[in-house]
Amino acid sequence: MMLLATLDWYSLFFLLFALLTCGFAVGVLFSDNIVHMAFYLTLSLGSCAGLFFLAGAPFVGAMQLMIYVGGTVVLLAFGVMLTANANFSSLRIPRGGWVVSLIVGGLLLVLLLTAALRVESWRTPRDEAVLPLAEVQTATVLGAGLTGVRVDKLHEDDPVTRRGMSGYLLPFVIISVHLLVVLVGAAYMARTRIYRRSASGNPRSRTG
Amino acid sequence: MAEFFVDRLSLSAPVGYTLAALIQCVLIVALIGVAALLFIWMERKISGRIQDRWGPNRVGGKFGWFQTLADGMKLLTKEDLAPKDAQVILFRLAPYVSFAASFSAYLALPFADGWVIAPMTMGLFFILAVLGLEVFGVILGGYASGSKWSLFGAIRQAAQVVSYEVPLAMCAVVPVFLCGTMDLVAIGEKQAGLFTNWLVFHDPFTFVIFWVYFTCTVASVNRSPFDLPEAESELVAGFLTEYSGLRWSFFFMAEYSSMLLVSGLAAILFFGGWNGPLPIFHCIGWAYQQSETTWRLTGYLANLAGCVNFLAKAVLGVTVMMWVRWTLPRLRIDQVITVCLKYCVPLAAICFVGALMWQTLAWPSPNDLVPVTPAGKAGVREQWVLQQAKNAGRENLVGVSGPATDMPVTDIVVRPLEQEGGEG
Amino acid sequence: MTTADDSRILEFDVRTEEMLINMGPQHPSTHGVLRVVLRTDGEIVFRAEPQIGYLHRCAEKIGENLSPRQWVPYTDRLDYLAGMNMNLGWALAVEKLLGLEVSEKVGHIRVLVAELGRIASHLVAMGTYGLDLGSFTPFLYAFREREKILNLFEDVCGARLTYSYMLPGGVMADLPPGWLEKCEQFLTELEPVIADYHALLTSNQIFIKRTAAIGVLSAEDAIGYGCSGPVLRGSGVDFDLRRDGELYCTRMYQGYTYQVIVRKDGHYPKDHDYPPVPPEAVIGDCWHRFYVRMLEVVQSIDLVRQGIERYRQAPGDCGVPVKMTQRLPKGEIYLETEAPKGQMGFHLISDGSAIPWRVRIRSSSFCNLSIVPILCQNCLIADVPAVIGSLDVVLGEIDR
Repeated sequence: MMLLATLDWYSLFFLLFALLTCGFAVGVLFSDNIVHMAFYLTLSLGSCAGLFFLAGAPFVGAMQLMIYVGGTVVLLAFGVMLTANANFSSLRIPRGGWVVSLIVGGLLLVLLLTAALRVESWRTPRDEAVLPLAEVQTATVLGAGLTGVRVDKLHEDDPVTRRGMSGYLLPFVIISVHLLVVLVGAAYMARTRIYRRSASGNPRSRTG
Repeated sequence: MAEFFVDRLSLSAPVGYTLAALIQCVLIVALIGVAALLFIWMERKISGRIQDRWGPNRVGGKFGWFQTLADGMKLLTKEDLAPKDAQVILFRLAPYVSFAASFSAYLALPFADGWVIAPMTMGLFFILAVLGLEVFGVILGGYASGSKWSLFGAIRQAAQVVSYEVPLAMCAVVPVFLCGTMDLVAIGEKQAGLFTNWLVFHDPFTFVIFWVYFTCTVASVNRSPFDLPEAESELVAGFLTEYSGLRWSFFFMAEYSSMLLVSGLAAILFFGGWNGPLPIFHCIGWAYQQSETTWRLTGYLANLAGCVNFLAKAVLGVTVMMWVRWTLPRLRIDQVITVCLKYCVPLAAICFVGALMWQTLAWPSPNDLVPVTPAGKAGVREQWVLQQAKNAGRENLVGVSGPATDMPVTDIVVRPLEQEGGEG
Repeated sequence: MTTADDSRILEFDVRTEEMLINMGPQHPSTHGVLRVVLRTDGEIVFRAEPQIGYLHRCAEKIGENLSPRQWVPYTDRLDYLAGMNMNLGWALAVEKLLGLEVSEKVGHIRVLVAELGRIASHLVAMGTYGLDLGSFTPFLYAFREREKILNLFEDVCGARLTYSYMLPGGVMADLPPGWLEKCEQFLTELEPVIADYHALLTSNQIFIKRTAAIGVLSAEDAIGYGCSGPVLRGSGVDFDLRRDGELYCTRMYQGYTYQVIVRKDGHYPKDHDYPPVPPEAVIGDCWHRFYVRMLEVVQSIDLVRQGIERYRQAPGDCGVPVKMTQRLPKGEIYLETEAPKGQMGFHLISDGSAIPWRVRIRSSSFCNLSIVPILCQNCLIADVPAVIGSLDVVLGEIDR
């Protein structure tokens, strides 16, 4: 009953989205058709975006939708569809695989939990009756940070953290160049190799 | 609307908000439904007249007003077929995914000043993100139909939509940096006043960007000349081959609603949205001012007229799309991608830089003739600022407090550090 | 299909590199019940095999049981979009066997009606080609003009599609009074609309992108495969049976001034204001074949105008059709005429009785279709309807 008493609309929606995310993630694990897996992954990531919206971060939520759901999973679905031969259309995991994955997954979960619980401000639930909404709802802070100025730390007193005032410009540029290299490399590797075919249309076998 | 329920009718906040959300969603579904009805009728009439024939002229009077209704009833009564090789769950689900994506984008689309379901500060970004999800329904539909033709159509569509998202986003960003905000309501409001304030007239580069944007949206919603996935004469009906009845009509409703959405977006970004060519309601004093926080009947009527104005512009955009469809032949898929990569992207990039330079160097622009506020576009505030000013006067709203409500409405300017030599 | 073919298809279908795709026989874009089997890798077509026979109606066998006069309606159904020209081919073939000569008036009527049929056929070719490529409007404009021609034909012989008007020995009936004026009015209405077609298709950038340098047919291949008509002339071969054919064909057109539409010395005839050839177009590609048809329409308009004038001054009557019981002299003849789609030939062997011993139809579309495997080699799937549409095949003629 006490649990139900603490249930308000935010918690309800959080529960819904969290269940969807985890449920579809479990669906990815347990389904044996690769296209179903891709579909469940899309829905899982979409529910994750819902979680972001609930947490008051619409920009990150929209980014999640655009990049993960819109981009990555479309690409994934593409590749899955085009290579969905008889070999891969039904994937079964051997029993040993389940054991290994449980162990590795469990270890990862333990690691994440311990890391998360070390953050002081996350340990205790917020007991204010009223939660302040985000003061500034623009993406100015984020954008300025990416271009090198941390406007949210303009009046930072601690000299140690003031060093982080330079923002995220360097990692941003590194990631951009990295992405460019990856794209160029992928385009190069996927280039069409045309084999000569005889005029009568008898195809020679493709090798390589 | 939620404030009306919570404040005037004294419903509890969750109930009031839910009720408001439900009503607004129903309104949008109604809008999409009526719009689809209207557009199908318009398409048939316009295509008929372009092709030197009448179009529907029997059902419902001389102009065939109820033709679409009759077609809808026919579609409803059709047998719900699924091919033997189809994956039934995905096959059944695909039209709804498409429609859901298209519908969700309306959540952030404003119809008048403040009339938006989910007031988001990054409304434009959200719409662009969700528009890209529509292709997922198409891919699913094509794959799950179990036929090579459908698969082909689905792959083509995915390639096309994903490629055109790039120049589309580039074009959509131009109004963003011209206005300094992604908030669609604010972008619309910054174009209030005389039509010279419209962003399409800001500089020649933005003018060209609008046309590139229009081309990209035509490609993005798969209309001719980019409508290969629906290419009837080549792949029968592409990914739609195996769909019939209500499921088919869902795909088409999704397409028409996307068309309306992107036309509406074009209207807001470039043509002032709900602000007409002439500021009639501003002149007679009915329209809301920025500083007002209370509701007024005359303000409501001004907003209503703005909504009608906005819808008229969106419908005009859709009409132009239809006009183009019935005139031009279809491009091949490699030509479609070529147009995107070799024409749209470089052109969008060049005009992006041009518009950026124009804005940064503050060159003269028709927008300066009759500025919307004495401070120009910068005087128009984003929605969240105005909302907090409104919230300051309301006590029964759960969850809003804090220093932000006392924040005055001033310019947010990043001033350089004056002390310590300006680190960082 | 043989079982050997079946196993080959099965084998190819299982491979993951190549796909076997079937276009037709029910298909909105293949000009009739044509089945094209494509072997593709993604979008590129390695092999396109047209498969015909879905419209076979044993016309030639029936010809062995009917007298030539009775067999005329079967010619209408060969190229049903240009029934008049089919009638003409058969009438001339029988007249050649019998050694008949028709009066001048019949000759002019035949020219009038055949050239109107040519316009009608090319209009359909143009409209359906636009439809294949996604341009829906020219199809309706073409049919709007074609309606007027069919109304004229209805006035002449009472039928809109299957005329049986031109009979061996003459024509069924003389032109009705007032027909020439209606015909002239139609021509004045048609001429300005052709500019619309050019704007919508011939000079349209998207259309050019879809057809220029696609399906290039060299002159040697065209001659080698027996192509004829606009397909042959689109590859630059200067040959038109109205000018170069046998006496029985060319006699009809003697005294008429017209240009054979073919690119000679690097340019097309300059007697009218034709739209310019875009730089991307290569001789022998789909665009040139389409262009030849469009220009032939203009030439046919000129011919009809001249025909109207000469009919007014010609003596004679509409001829006496050959009777059903007329004995055909023993022997065989072969006569080809220039039909809108190409060279239409009739091979008639008689053993001396009134019923022919063998009737053989040489169909132009049959030979034109045979180059599809060559033209579609290494093209994209979207180009296959573009190529087939440019060849302007009609299955009635192919399958007989």
